[in-house]
Amino acid sequence: MGKTPFALAGLVLTLGFAPAAGWAQDSAGSVSTAIAASATEVMAKVREAAQYLKEKGLAGFADFNNNKDARWVWKDSYVFVYSCRDDVMIAHPLRPDLVGKPILQMRDDKGTALFQEMCKASDNPNGGWVEYWWPKPGEAKASRKISYVHSAPVSFKSDIQVGAGIYDEKLTASDLSKIVEDTAKPQKAVP
Amino acid sequence: MAEQKLGNPAVVGLAGFGLTTLVLQFHNVGWMPSIGPVVWLGLIFGGLAQLIAGLQEQKTGNNFGYCAFTSYGAFWIALAVMLIANKFDLFKAGTEDVGWFLVAWTLFTAILWVGSLRIHGAMALTFTLLLAGFILLDLAHFGYPQLTVVAGYTLIACALMAWYMMARIILNEIYGRELLPAGKPWA
Repeated sequence: MGKTPFALAGLVLTLGFAPAAGWAQDSAGSVSTAIAASATEVMAKVREAAQYLKEKGLAGFADFNNNKDARWVWKDSYVFVYSCRDDVMIAHPLRPDLVGKPILQMRDDKGTALFQEMCKASDNPNGGWVEYWWPKPGEAKASRKISYVHSAPVSFKSDIQVGAGIYDEKLTASDLSKIVEDTAKPQKAVP
Repeated sequence: MAEQKLGNPAVVGLAGFGLTTLVLQFHNVGWMPSIGPVVWLGLIFGGLAQLIAGLQEQKTGNNFGYCAFTSYGAFWIALAVMLIANKFDLFKAGTEDVGWFLVAWTLFTAILWVGSLRIHGAMALTFTLLLAGFILLDLAHFGYPQLTVVAGYTLIACALMAWYMMARIILNEIYGRELLPAGKPWA
């Protein structure tokens, strides 16, 4: 039993340095971002949210706004729910002012029509990544954000999308698309 | 006493079926964002009115109309109540649960479809479109959500066919001639 911490420390020392580049890709690549959500976390949360809505239906929307048990808000990220077809923000745990408002006309500081981009990306059956500028939770100034978006089948309310993002300076949407492809493969292997 | 002429309950049954189906498809194809009107129409016009029309069909000795109108009336009430209950997290039905609900109604519709083929062309076409719409909705709930829109257009055609049959009964009587033909049975 006492050996476990040493073994872990050894593992971290040996593995921690060599694949630093790969490691950075996963943890948003910055020393000061110990509480930053990673790309894989964001993807897992978004897919979990899609599954949740599929099982829960319309009643599930409210849970994303309430965030009763911190399930959909974690570290510096959160899950938001919107509908491209209805042009509306359905749930946003940190910005209640946006809920119920149209989204497609919104532009970020660089002029990107972020939700139009996200609607295109979520057309992909495995979801997709979109880069734009959006303030971190608790900040006023916009940071570079890359969000993973995915469509969610919900009864009586077709065309629902969910998304969540990471704040990162270096990663690009195409880097992240590789992770999408990799994680999509095992799902497809299941008959 | 002279025999009192009775109205044909099918006119209200077809009106409620057609209109409620039509409005749900406005939602399914993406023109109407909210499902709200479907809930209330489903309870009153598609549900209650069609249900009563079905019960009146029973007195006319028409088993097909009795079963179809009463059942689809009950379908709309069940669907509307399910939507309301879902909203309040009561016996929540997920997408696949609703899918199985629709599968059962698809099987039921398949039986009536066989009957419809022997009634007349308009009835056969209406039920063929209804059956196709149900099958597309089933698929939409089991992994092909994009088919919801295809189902929507199919069922819009179905609803308009139901109204054609309604118009046929009303207008042919008023004009005193076969203004709108029913077409030959398919089987």
